[in-house]
Amino acid sequence: MGGESFHFVSARLGTSFLVWLVVGIALALPAGLWILQVNMNEMSAGWEGRPGLSVYFELQASTEDIEVAAQQLRKHEQVESVSVTSADQALDEFKTYSGLGDALTLLAENPLPASLTARFAQNIDTDVVDRLIAAVQDLPGVAEVVVEKTWLERLNDLSTAVSRLGVVLAVLFGIGAVLVTASSVRLAIESRLDELRVLKMVGATQGQVRRPFLYFGAIYGFGGGVIAAMLIAVTLVVIEPPLQSLLGSYQQELDLAGFNLGFLAFLLVLASLLGVAGALIAVRQRLNNLELF
Amino acid sequence: MGHIVLQHVTRRFDNGHEALSDVSVGFEEGSMTFLTGHSGAGKSTFLKLLLRADVPTRGKVLVNDVDIARLAEKRLPRYRQHLGVVFQDHHLLTQRTVFENVALPLRVGGMREREIGRRVRASLGQVDLLGKEGLFPRHLSTGEQQRVGIARAVVTRPKILLADEPTGNLDPQLSAHIMDLFARFNQVGTTVIIASHDIQLIEAMGFRMLQLEHGRVVGDHAATRSTAEWVGETEAPATADLGGQE
Repeated sequence: MGGESFHFVSARLGTSFLVWLVVGIALALPAGLWILQVNMNEMSAGWEGRPGLSVYFELQASTEDIEVAAQQLRKHEQVESVSVTSADQALDEFKTYSGLGDALTLLAENPLPASLTARFAQNIDTDVVDRLIAAVQDLPGVAEVVVEKTWLERLNDLSTAVSRLGVVLAVLFGIGAVLVTASSVRLAIESRLDELRVLKMVGATQGQVRRPFLYFGAIYGFGGGVIAAMLIAVTLVVIEPPLQSLLGSYQQELDLAGFNLGFLAFLLVLASLLGVAGALIAVRQRLNNLELF
Repeated sequence: MGHIVLQHVTRRFDNGHEALSDVSVGFEEGSMTFLTGHSGAGKSTFLKLLLRADVPTRGKVLVNDVDIARLAEKRLPRYRQHLGVVFQDHHLLTQRTVFENVALPLRVGGMREREIGRRVRASLGQVDLLGKEGLFPRHLSTGEQQRVGIARAVVTRPKILLADEPTGNLDPQLSAHIMDLFARFNQVGTTVIIASHDIQLIEAMGFRMLQLEHGRVVGDHAATRSTAEWVGETEAPATADLGGQE
């Protein structure tokens, strides 16, 4: 029966390829988004940055004011590090990186304030951050407290959005793949109605009548899965160079994750199951009440 | 299995037409009966009820005391495996060879390939088609196609053989040969019911004849001879003369 189904599909290769293509495209988008989300998670796990805050002091703030603020932050267990940059250090760094060293020597006094930067633990609650801000911003000498919504947090938000979008698209496109397979299997059933009637007449069970079409569904689904895997692979190859360049500017290495044997096996099994689901819909619609001659 | 009784069977369609009206009739196991009547008399509906391709609106269709109208769907395949069915237009699978067509009921029944080969050849031998196993139906004459249909119907050695106008497209000589084949199957104990409007041939054979008219049995003529007598009186026609009708 399996060979018969394979023969039927291969004898109509053009039509079968179109079905594979449609199912493949339907599966490629959610599967691709899953790969994207996995990589964003990987990136955020390896990212050196941490959420934190910067405290900018008034120009006339004393060393004691800065130390009090630093101590205030250090005593909290979810603050991993506090680094103080004095006004002189800030000016030196500015001279070094701005290229305006000579011009800055003409200034009568240092225009840059002292500051400190606190780095939080990765899993810090926003409530804790709010309490830290409140504790610091009213201290003497503090001019401004800036909470850094880090690149990492943005990446996490984006990853969550991609993940949810992936789930929604997986459901929608999964339904699409099932319906495409169902309609293709339905056509296969229609083209063999006489044969099916003969089979029922000579005593074939429902299972015997249905089985070849479930195989059709599995073949259509599996083929769609292969196409989806190829589409994703091509997409990854195409986007790799610009992505590598982008991450390089953040001193990050591109190491694409997720597209491995486990993913491929899962994709192909899932695609085959969706195909079988589509075939089941078609055979239930058409074969359950098939009249004999 | 082979004893059939219809009790007050009525089949009314949604449009109000009654194909069968209060039909009560019985068939002994191993009997051979012709159903006759004009088109629309109810012959095909009668056979469909026996095949359980249809169910009566009222009444019972008892096969060995089991009302087949009440058979659960999952038990239908088993029931049909005990039937052989022959149609006027053969219903052969055009993409399959003669061998595969005849083997189909055996494969459905889960028989081993070796046994299938033996049974198919025996069956084709009975209808004089040995040597044509590898041909496709389109390569055969109408008479040969009909005999492939008969071979498929009898390959499982069914208890009941139903035939709906099996000689409808055939010339008188070939029709007589086909009827002779049915008589021979009946001789080995198969209950045979044949729907046909070929009154001349039926009367000449002298088997039991049920006459249907507007869905009612209007005549039940007892057999004037047994199939054994018929087979004894007739010689098997030369098959070379029978297969050539296009």
